Amino acid sequence: MEVPRRLPPSSFTLTLPKPAASAPASFVPEKDPEEEENLREEDEAGEETFISTEEAEPGASVVERSNSNLSSRDSFSEESGGPMSEERLAPEADEETGRKCEEEERAAAKERAAQRQLMAIEELVQSERNYLRLLQLSTVTIRGNLLKLQPPLLNLNSMFLHVDEVMDASSRLLSLLDQKRVRPGDPLFLQTLCESFLSLSSDIEAAYKEYLANYNHITVVENSYKQREGLWNEIVRVIKASAPEVNATSLTFFLVMPVQRIARYPLLLQTIQKHTDPAHPAYALLEHTAHTSIALNCGINEYKRFREVADKYKKTETLTIKDKINRLNSHSIAKKTARLSQQIKHETGITPKLVDEEFDALQDFFYVLEHGILELLENVETYLHHLQGFLACRTEEFDLDMDGEKAPICYKEITTALRQWILPTFEKRMRTLIHRPLCALRDLLVGPRNLIRKRLDKLLDYELIEAKSNLSYEEHAVANTYRTINTLLLNELPQFNGVALQMIWSMLGTFSCLHRDLASDMEQLFQSFAQQLPHSSLSPGAFWEWAESMALEGARRLETLCRSVEDTLNAPVVQPLSPSSQRRLKQLMDKHGSGKIWQAAAAVVSSRDLDLNLAKGELVAVISEMDTRGDRRRWLVDAGGRRGYAPSSKLIRYHQPAEDPPPSPHLTLPDGVTGIRRHSYSPESRPLTSQPCFQVMAAYDFAARGSHEVSLRAGERVRVLEPHDKRGNPEWSLVEARGGQRGYVPSNYLTLMPLGVGVGPPGSYLPH
Amino acid sequence: SNWLPFLVWFQFSNSHMFINDVFTSCGQWLEDQTKKLHKDMKKSTEADLAMSKAAVKISADLLSNPLCEQDQAFLDSMNALDTAMKRMDSFNQEKVNQIQKTVIDPLKKYSGVFPSLNMAVKRREQALQDYKRLQSKVEKYEEKEKTGPVMVKLHQAREELRPVRDDFEAKNKQLLDEMPKFYHSRIDYFQPSFEALIRAQVVYFTEMYKIFNDLTDQIDQAGLTDEQRERETEAKLSELRALSIVADD
Repeated sequence: MEVPRRLPPSSFTLTLPKPAASAPASFVPEKDPEEEENLREEDEAGEETFISTEEAEPGASVVERSNSNLSSRDSFSEESGGPMSEERLAPEADEETGRKCEEEERAAAKERAAQRQLMAIEELVQSERNYLRLLQLSTVTIRGNLLKLQPPLLNLNSMFLHVDEVMDASSRLLSLLDQKRVRPGDPLFLQTLCESFLSLSSDIEAAYKEYLANYNHITVVENSYKQREGLWNEIVRVIKASAPEVNATSLTFFLVMPVQRIARYPLLLQTIQKHTDPAHPAYALLEHTAHTSIALNCGINEYKRFREVADKYKKTETLTIKDKINRLNSHSIAKKTARLSQQIKHETGITPKLVDEEFDALQDFFYVLEHGILELLENVETYLHHLQGFLACRTEEFDLDMDGEKAPICYKEITTALRQWILPTFEKRMRTLIHRPLCALRDLLVGPRNLIRKRLDKLLDYELIEAKSNLSYEEHAVANTYRTINTLLLNELPQFNGVALQMIWSMLGTFSCLHRDLASDMEQLFQSFAQQLPHSSLSPGAFWEWAESMALEGARRLETLCRSVEDTLNAPVVQPLSPSSQRRLKQLMDKHGSGKIWQAAAAVVSSRDLDLNLAKGELVAVISEMDTRGDRRRWLVDAGGRRGYAPSSKLIRYHQPAEDPPPSPHLTLPDGVTGIRRHSYSPESRPLTSQPCFQVMAAYDFAARGSHEVSLRAGERVRVLEPHDKRGNPEWSLVEARGGQRGYVPSNYLTLMPLGVGVGPPGSYLPH
Repeated sequence: SNWLPFLVWFQFSNSHMFINDVFTSCGQWLEDQTKKLHKDMKKSTEADLAMSKAAVKISADLLSNPLCEQDQAFLDSMNALDTAMKRMDSFNQEKVNQIQKTVIDPLKKYSGVFPSLNMAVKRREQALQDYKRLQSKVEKYEEKEKTGPVMVKLHQAREELRPVRDDFEAKNKQLLDEMPKFYHSRIDYFQPSFEALIRAQVVYFTEMYKIFNDLTDQIDQAGLTDEQRERETEAKLSELRALSIVADD
């Protein structure tokens, strides 16, 4: 459930997820029968959509509701009309037709989607502004102050080599938006945004490409500063003094931002896309822009790899791998396989009349090679199959409505990057550089394989005629065929074997390189999150200890919750006794004592001889907890003179309200709890309202459309008078807004904030 | 959908109505989300493990093929690859174990709470129905002419109503207390899981980088770009295709 990040995630806002597609049906008072019926159906429809998740998300669920709820609700709403009707405003008396209600609902839903889209757009723009501001702060103010340090810092300016281009791209993007003089609320804004982004995309790619390819250098320099504690403390002091409002403790705090920013564009754009109607004129453009942002990331990563390769060419004194591979020429292969062939011959006991050791060696090598290639291909395909299985799991989509928390957001960003471009690039390279050539190689095996078999056939023929001195014309032909094939294979198989082996060897080197690049891409991504997560500074051992203990603690709390829910809610109702029941109670207690009194939880119908019939709630005394045959499910009871058997499953212990109840045999006690809470109910029991710990406010602007509604501005605090309308529909709520005006507003326009937490401006969300 | 606002409002007001739908629908949403996330996490880790095992098989099968013995340098490369794959697989296994303990198991436990909560909601609804039934009974007698027998019946009905109402309101309050806390508790409950997910991956990919950086230095020093690799491969394939034995006559 995607929530627009309008409010800063550090305050825990429980914002509402996307509201239901249909706006709540307007409340209608008396209606004539058929309209009533229409509306009732619609109410149901309205209810259905209200409680189902509205978009076709994988998580959409529809709750089954019994119709009895609806009818009981209606009757109830009439009953409880009493105390609150004075406070209610008279709803309008206009009678709307079902059709008009539906239209209104659709319009309201569209309005809400538009607001969410607006927020997502503003988030992109505001965060861009913030990002640029912080970069400028670091480049100008902080760098300026650091330059003044004595003795001067080595290599300081080298850390800022490429940040100017990045800042330039960002400021150009923002100025394009400002120039057009459209505001985010303007329908044209989205188009402007996409066009600006697309027009700058090649410049963005060029700027970020260089920046990211050189980012390692920045961390190297900073680490060199960290080696000297005094120097580093000084640097941190300057940073803090230059930017007191920012909680930064290193230079990379700022300089890592471009790394993260470029990876965030896809997510930001996709969020906007999510809340945009496909019929929107700029939708196709937006989709294209989102794809472009992913392509940008792919291109930037590819360039980074390219530069690494170019920079890292190693010269070793010993033979390089490439040379070693090239040494695998035909001659050396033939020689080395001689031993192999002897082994195989020995094992199979084949001694053809004409033994050609050299050929056999080549042939055996070929078969071994063939087997190796086929097996490798199969293994690679299995690997790719599982890779696709992994890519199919979109775990980042479920955030349990924790959009405001840092860890889920980081997880979402990491997983989005991994799943949407880092792993796909890896897969693509695997297929291009390994799978495809391997398939081609496998296809080439056919020729030599068939030829070898043909040779063997011809050999058998040849053996028959070889000894003869006078060969007929046909026999000559047969002999020549054999000799030709044999010679051909002898000449070319070594080369085939050698080249094929070289290819396999190179492919494995590529395989290793692909893994390294994948890991390197992920490492770069992680760098931007390193400082944001609260426990990232813990050592591995400490971290896992913490995580596991939290899991245990969480499990404990859940257990406590379960138990408390079960205890309280399963407690039976203690009814006051009717006079006849009171007499029965006294009678039984006098005879059997108070410890043996049980009550029938449900009516008991006798099914056997000597069984009793009991009414629900009837009191009995238990004489024996089993019958004469030892069956513990049948208890002998005294029902005030009548004696007989009753099923123990239907009996519960009876306690006088005033007594302390003994612990139930069915529930296990948690540690430290001495008794179970079973309540004695009295009219003066605890008050029903508890201390509120949340305040309610408007999450979105709402414009009143009539005198019975009240307008709200987003962020305004309201007091809820009634969380439903006159018909009991919870989709509208009666609120009192600032200024004392009262009226109805859509319930899902309201949200909760913990008391005492302020609200920040949009766009103040930053990854730190 | 988020039902907390309603719950809080019910705390402010005395209205007890309609919570059932709110509870069931919103509890349902959280339950569904939790279950789906659990399922997807499981599938994802299974695929992850399978991938890693497949990678190990690639190098292990090659190493056991007699091809390797043909050239010492080739054999050395294969050994290095095999070692690297096995190490990566063991790190992967460790990563999955950590995720199992700190993410998947907690998800499962969280799902396990819903049957109790759903039952509690049902019980509350039952109590509400009892309450309403007795309430209407009381009101029925209140509307009648105040004769002696009627007054007696009215008194009895009121006596009957009282504990049932109290029971309902206690159950109601309990749910109103616990449900928002439960819903809100998911943040504290799952925060460590998300952090653990990230950390486990950071560790894994850091190790993966070290392993494969070293291995690549050893068996792929040429450091070609993708285009260069493709060209080389194509050149070799062409060389093979040029052989007469390859063209199937």
